[in-house]
Amino acid sequence: MELPSLSAIGAQAVSGLTTAMLLFLVASGLSLIFGVLRLLNFAHGSFYMLGAYFAWQFNTWLQGSFWLSVLFAAIATGVLGALLERVLFRKFYDRPELMQLLFTYSIVLIVSDVVKYIWGTQQLGIRRPEMLSHSFKFGEIVLPSYNLVIIVISLAIAVGIWLLLQGTRLGKMVRAAAFDREMLSMLGVDVRMLYLLVFSAGCFLAGLAGALVAPMSAVVPGMDADIIISLFIIVVIGGLGSFWGTFLGSIIYGMVFSFGILFIPQFSLFAVALIMVVILIVKPEGLLGRENTR
Amino acid sequence: MDTTFMQLKRVQLLLGLLGTLAASIASAQEPIRVGFPMILSGAGGQFGAPILKGAQMYVDEINATGGVLGRKIELVPRDTKSRPDEAVRVARELVLRENVDFLVGTFTSGEGPAVSGIAKEAKKVFIAVAPKTDRLTAPDAIHPYVFRAAANTTTEGRAAATIVAKWNIKRLATIAPDFAYGRDATASFVAHIKKLRPDIEIVDQQWPKLNESDYTPFITAQLGKKPEAVFSVICCGNFDSFARQAGAQGYFKSIGNNFIGLGEAGSIEALRALGGEYPIGVYGNTYDAFYWKPKDSEVARLHAAFTKRLSTALKDDTPPSWAVQGYISMQFLVEGIKKANSIDSDKVSTALKGLEIVSPQGKITMRAKDQQATRGMLWGKATKRDGYAFPILDGVELIDPTGFMD
Repeated sequence: MELPSLSAIGAQAVSGLTTAMLLFLVASGLSLIFGVLRLLNFAHGSFYMLGAYFAWQFNTWLQGSFWLSVLFAAIATGVLGALLERVLFRKFYDRPELMQLLFTYSIVLIVSDVVKYIWGTQQLGIRRPEMLSHSFKFGEIVLPSYNLVIIVISLAIAVGIWLLLQGTRLGKMVRAAAFDREMLSMLGVDVRMLYLLVFSAGCFLAGLAGALVAPMSAVVPGMDADIIISLFIIVVIGGLGSFWGTFLGSIIYGMVFSFGILFIPQFSLFAVALIMVVILIVKPEGLLGRENTR
Repeated sequence: MDTTFMQLKRVQLLLGLLGTLAASIASAQEPIRVGFPMILSGAGGQFGAPILKGAQMYVDEINATGGVLGRKIELVPRDTKSRPDEAVRVARELVLRENVDFLVGTFTSGEGPAVSGIAKEAKKVFIAVAPKTDRLTAPDAIHPYVFRAAANTTTEGRAAATIVAKWNIKRLATIAPDFAYGRDATASFVAHIKKLRPDIEIVDQQWPKLNESDYTPFITAQLGKKPEAVFSVICCGNFDSFARQAGAQGYFKSIGNNFIGLGEAGSIEALRALGGEYPIGVYGNTYDAFYWKPKDSEVARLHAAFTKRLSTALKDDTPPSWAVQGYISMQFLVEGIKKANSIDSDKVSTALKGLEIVSPQGKITMRAKDQQATRGMLWGKATKRDGYAFPILDGVELIDPTGFMD
């Protein structure tokens, strides 16, 4: 076998990082919701898909004002998430995981049919903003500026969430809720409100990722199911509910996927799935997850 | 004997005779029912819908002239939802509950062979409209009732090889979705190009899954192997996202646009969806193009007339490329019925073998030996042209597969 050059390896690492950061945006919301609400949300991919469709819709209404469309799409997804939390999701917080899985899977099916009903089955596309359609070149490594923006936004959000969790009163309450919510509610904190906030924030992140991915790929029915498997692999590797675990899981997924393609193209998904299997056997709580205390 | 009884008996006999006569008259006026299992929702729905419209247009034209054997034709469409199991379910329902006389349809290489099984079981002629996998009519899978009006992976791959063989390149890479169609078309292409140009080396082969959303790592890995040209089977509604991501990575530029896209990468649907982001200068194929100008004057006349009727029927100045497949498939069925002078599937099957039709794309024969139509495809180079809102294929030519089908 011909060994790839150093610059090819560099290019592959950059590709892996783009994949990883985009997935992290979506997975962080899934992990946050599980960590605090103990809800296994199979429908998280649906909010990601809705984010992409909302972005297309706003982009059409606003006639190409891209960044505003992305922002509105993320907000709309967050608001929709909050509404659904109030009406449906909160009824399932203390149910067994199997019930949660069945319920959230039904939501997946319902959302996908609603999306087809509203936007049809045709592929929709958004053009990336003109100022971001060029790319940077470092030797032979090509980094499209749009991918760079995605990497930067995701890193900024990672740091932002971490600061929020560590440094603010709200963050402390969120962490406390993940730890012992009964104690927290006895201390007079409105746990229901906190849950609403966390769920909505998770949906906002999924919607943001969906909106950001729209100019790179096509907006189509089926985006939801395609991403959810990747998300579950990531949170299993990193540790469901662990913030940095999810970050680590995303990096591992992106890199293993990317270099798997470079070295053994026949098995692009094989390597990531294998890692998941090994983790499930050796360290079922994930690399940075804590032992399940329930 | 009791005479009243005899009289009653006679009346009964007369009534019976009248009944049979009435039934046969009624059946002469009842339409011939054709079950049409097709992808009408999901990402593939954008191709299935125009196919159905093309088939319906042919049916309307035939019915306007009095139908066939004095009977009208009626299409009974069903959505396969892009799933082979659903295709089997609706095909069975069409045969058992709707009592259809024939089956015409299916889109993917998963659905085609699945519905072929039902046709064999029910002994009803089935004409596959779009599935290309060689498996459909392979020697161990063929039976008297399955026919294909589409191209197949052998002819599509080989046609691409005849084009690539003319390119001044040595290092070639392939990228194709990891399922029957992608694997088969690539295998056929690679075998043929090695025969035509033994000096060409295959330096990389990528197999992203069907409906992959993130092609970036595949693209960079392929560029890392420094190919001078790429053969692609990215199909089925995936070409948009692939081309967007590849374009941003400078992929097409770095291979000097020596790129050939199978799986209808050159269809009006794909060209229109990508618009200004379509990679100018790459080769693509398609079943039809409204702007195609055939060299043969008779084909040119037929094609222009077809395009005009299609535009009117669909109220679309730039009509879709897939409609012609529905049209041609129904044309085969109806002319088969005419030749057999019967709607009995065994007789129609015999009639279809070796049948030649004059389609809007010229003459096409349903070969007797493998029940495969000599269906070529249009190939051309994407270019910008004044007067069109999206790129079109330049120098479009129909590559006749007759010479390399076996």
